[in-house]
Amino acid sequence: MNDFLWSSGHLGWGVFALAVFTGLWWLLGDLYWRLQNIRISRLLVTLAIGWAIGVGLILLGFRIE
Amino acid sequence: MTILVLQIVILCLVAAAIVLWALYFPYPSPLIRRWLPPRKRWPETQIRAWLKRGEFQRAFLRHFYSDPERIAPPGNSMLAPADGLVTSAQVQGGVRYLVIALSFWDMHVQRSPVSGRVLAVESHGDGFMDGEGREFAFLREKSCPVQKRLVIGTDAGHVAVRLITSLAARRIETWVREGEEIKRGQRIGRILLGSTVVLELPAAVNLLVHTGDRVWAGETAVAEGATCP
Repeated sequence: MNDFLWSSGHLGWGVFALAVFTGLWWLLGDLYWRLQNIRISRLLVTLAIGWAIGVGLILLGFRIE
Repeated sequence: MTILVLQIVILCLVAAAIVLWALYFPYPSPLIRRWLPPRKRWPETQIRAWLKRGEFQRAFLRHFYSDPERIAPPGNSMLAPADGLVTSAQVQGGVRYLVIALSFWDMHVQRSPVSGRVLAVESHGDGFMDGEGREFAFLREKSCPVQKRLVIGTDAGHVAVRLITSLAARRIETWVREGEEIKRGQRIGRILLGSTVVLELPAAVNLLVHTGDRVWAGETAVAEGATCP
């Protein structure tokens, strides 16, 4: 788990990927919300599911390594 | 060390994007504006706030004052004089008044619906409101419109284009003069803020658009039936 947070003098790729993915996912969600006429509750649910899947894949990829 | 610096730089860029998002919310961040259509890029509430302050975003002004080329369709049909939404097509006193409402996001240059000679360029203050024009729904909502009326003479009769703006805006430019020969689709003027354009046609013409239709200046055929040279 140490490699996840910190690895050989730089941030662990796991935590780095999580931070970048979360930020970009948020911004992408904002763009999608503005382009589509979608209810905010539905958007938040979609964003949450997408974020959970993304985080799951990152954690899974990090674990496989 | 290099990797750490690179990671920090990338994280700072993402953080800056989120800070920008938060600063501009609920309006779109400058980073995503280019991917949004005009109506979403500059929401109405934002434009109304600019109107109150008298300050506008440069990109919005560039869009507002844009004057794209238009290609008139072949034939003799009468063209829409303005971009916008057809809100009414009433007939009164033998004249059909085709009302086109312009939004903040529409191109504001007006074009001639027909070829012909400019017979008159009339300016109106609020006089039209005090007369029979008060009966018209398209004027009823405007407490004090300022207008320019261009009368164009054709072989088939007269056609007039009425450019209307509010008293607050009070800015209409006309680019043609009395006696000038103009072509179908030629630029005739510009409303600098607002509002409404009314095309006055003979009642006998066959209307090709209906209330709720969207029309484009110099490109959308709105009526036919009269011979427009």
